[in-house]
Amino acid sequence: MSFAIETNGLTKVFGNVVAVDHVDLRVERGEIYGFLGLNGAGKTTTIRALLGMIRPSAGNVKVLDQAVGPHGHGPWGKVGHLVESPSYYPELTVRENLEIARRLHEVADHTATARIIEKLALASYADRRAGTLSTGNVQRLGLARALLHEPELVILDEPANGLDPAGVVEIRELLKSLAEERGVTVFMSSHILTEVDRLATRIGIIHKGKLIEELDTDKLERLRARRLEVRARNLEAAQISLQSAGYKFVMDDSTIMIDDAHAIEHSDDIAQMLVNAGAPPTHLAVRQQELEDHFLQLTGGAK
Amino acid sequence: MKTFLAALWAETLKMMRSKVPLFTALGFSLAPLMGGLFMIIMKDPERAREMGLLSSKAQLVMDVAEWRTYFGLLAQATAIGGMILFSVITSWVFGREFTDRTAKDLMALPTSREKIVSAKLIVISAWVILLTILIFGIGLAVGALVDIPGWTNDLAAQSFLDVLGTAALTLLLMSPVAYFATMGRDYLPPLGWAILSIFLSQIVAATGWGDWFPWSVPALFSGVVGPRSEQLGMHSYILVLLASLAGLFATFWQWRNADQTK
Repeated sequence: MSFAIETNGLTKVFGNVVAVDHVDLRVERGEIYGFLGLNGAGKTTTIRALLGMIRPSAGNVKVLDQAVGPHGHGPWGKVGHLVESPSYYPELTVRENLEIARRLHEVADHTATARIIEKLALASYADRRAGTLSTGNVQRLGLARALLHEPELVILDEPANGLDPAGVVEIRELLKSLAEERGVTVFMSSHILTEVDRLATRIGIIHKGKLIEELDTDKLERLRARRLEVRARNLEAAQISLQSAGYKFVMDDSTIMIDDAHAIEHSDDIAQMLVNAGAPPTHLAVRQQELEDHFLQLTGGAK
Repeated sequence: MKTFLAALWAETLKMMRSKVPLFTALGFSLAPLMGGLFMIIMKDPERAREMGLLSSKAQLVMDVAEWRTYFGLLAQATAIGGMILFSVITSWVFGREFTDRTAKDLMALPTSREKIVSAKLIVISAWVILLTILIFGIGLAVGALVDIPGWTNDLAAQSFLDVLGTAALTLLLMSPVAYFATMGRDYLPPLGWAILSIFLSQIVAATGWGDWFPWSVPALFSGVVGPRSEQLGMHSYILVLLASLAGLFATFWQWRNADQTK
C-alpha cells in the first residue's frame, strides 16, 4: 500500500536523550492525521525527521513514496510544511516573503502569491513588513507559505498557535476542505486535544518519544460518543430497571454508563423510570470528554 | 539552473532590503577618507607638527604624500578592514538564517541546499567586489580633491589590481566564516573567528612566518610590511586556496548533513 508518510523504527537520540523512540507511522493519502502529545513528547523532532531536517539515529522515513535524506533529498515540491513557530524575513514584506517561497518552490504561476494572500486573508497586510505583523498574522503567513505551492501533503506543527478563536475555525475549515475537496493529506501536530479532535480522521498519541496509541475513525467515534452516567444508592434495582427497559450499559465501578442515544437525549425519562423503580439517581450526567480522559490516562496527565 | 536563479534572486533581495550594504559601505568608506586626511597632513608638515599626535601617527604610516603611498594605504585598509567588514557580511548572510529561524524553511525545498549556499556565496562575493570598487572610486575622488602628486595611469591601474587582489584573497578566507556561522547557528561564532584570525595573522606575520599562514597573506599581499615579492611565495597563495576550499567543503557539509534544530 502507498502511504503519504511512512516511518519504520524512526529513532532520534540527542546525547543521552531519546527524543523519538522507534516510531512506526503510516499515514494514508487523503487522511487528516492528528499527532498528539504533550510538550516535549517528540512531536517536533518527528516532524523534522519527516522533512529531512534531522538525520534519524535509526530507522527510515518515506514521504510520498520517496525516501527522505540523507542529504535533504525528498519530494519537497509536493510537500508544504510549518515547523514550530513560523519564520520570516522581518525586513521583507509579506508579499516578498511569499514570493521567495514561490520561486524556491519552482511555482511558475506568478498569480500564486496573490491567490494565497487572498486565501489566508492577508491582503491588507501584503505590503507591510513581516516584522510588524501580529502573532496571528505571522501564523497565517507561515500557513500561506506552507500552502502556496498547492502541496499533496502538508505537515503542520501546531498550526493553530497564536490564532484567535475565529482564526482557528477558519484554518480548520481550510484544512478540512483541502483534504475533502483536493485529497490533500494533512499531518498536524498539537498538544491541544480539541484542536485535532475536531479535524482528524486518525490520531496518533506520542508520549516520551514513543507512539503509544493510534486511534482510527471507529475508535475515535466511540471515544467521542457521549455517555449517560448514572449512579444510584440502589444500584441493583437501577440495573434491573434499565435492563428491562431494553437499555444496554456497562459498569465502571459504581457508575452505570449508557451509550444509548435515546437515553442520552431523554435523560429525564431515565430519571423518572429509576424513581418509579425505587432507585432514584444520585448522579445523572452526560459525559463528552472521554477522548481527553483517554489521552490524559495514556500520558499520565492530571484528570 | 532555474532554482539556482531563484535562490540568487532571493539572496539578492534579502541583502538589498537589509541595512548591511549601507553600513558596510559607510564603514569601508572611512578608509579612503582617512587616507585623504593623512595626505592633507603629509602635504603640509608644518601644520602636521602643530596637530600633535595625529601628525606623528601619520608619519608612522607614510612618509611621502604621493599617489603610490595613498594607494598602498588603500590596499592595507582593504586587507585589515576587509577581514572585519567582509566577515560581518558573511556572518550576516549565513548567521541570520539561524537567528531569524528561517534556516528550517530552506531545508525541505525543491531548490537544493547546495544551490542556496552557492547563491549566498555569490551574493557575498558580488557585494565584496562592489565594496572594493566603491572604496577605490572614493579613493580616487578624495585623492583628486586633496591634489596628491605623483599620478600615473599605470600606477593607478596596478594599484587597482593590488586592491582588488587583496580583496580577493580576503574574500577567499570568508568560507571558514560561513562555516562558523552555520555550525554555530548565530552571528557571534563567525565574528569571534574573524577577530581571532586577525589577531593570529598579526602575531604570525610578526614572527616572520606569515607566508605560511593563510590569514596573514592578504595583509602581506597589500604591502603592509614591505614589497610583496619578498614576503610571499606560490605556497602562500596555495595555502589561502586550501583554507578556502576547506571552509567551503565544511560549509556545504554542514548544510547537507548536520541536524537543523533551529
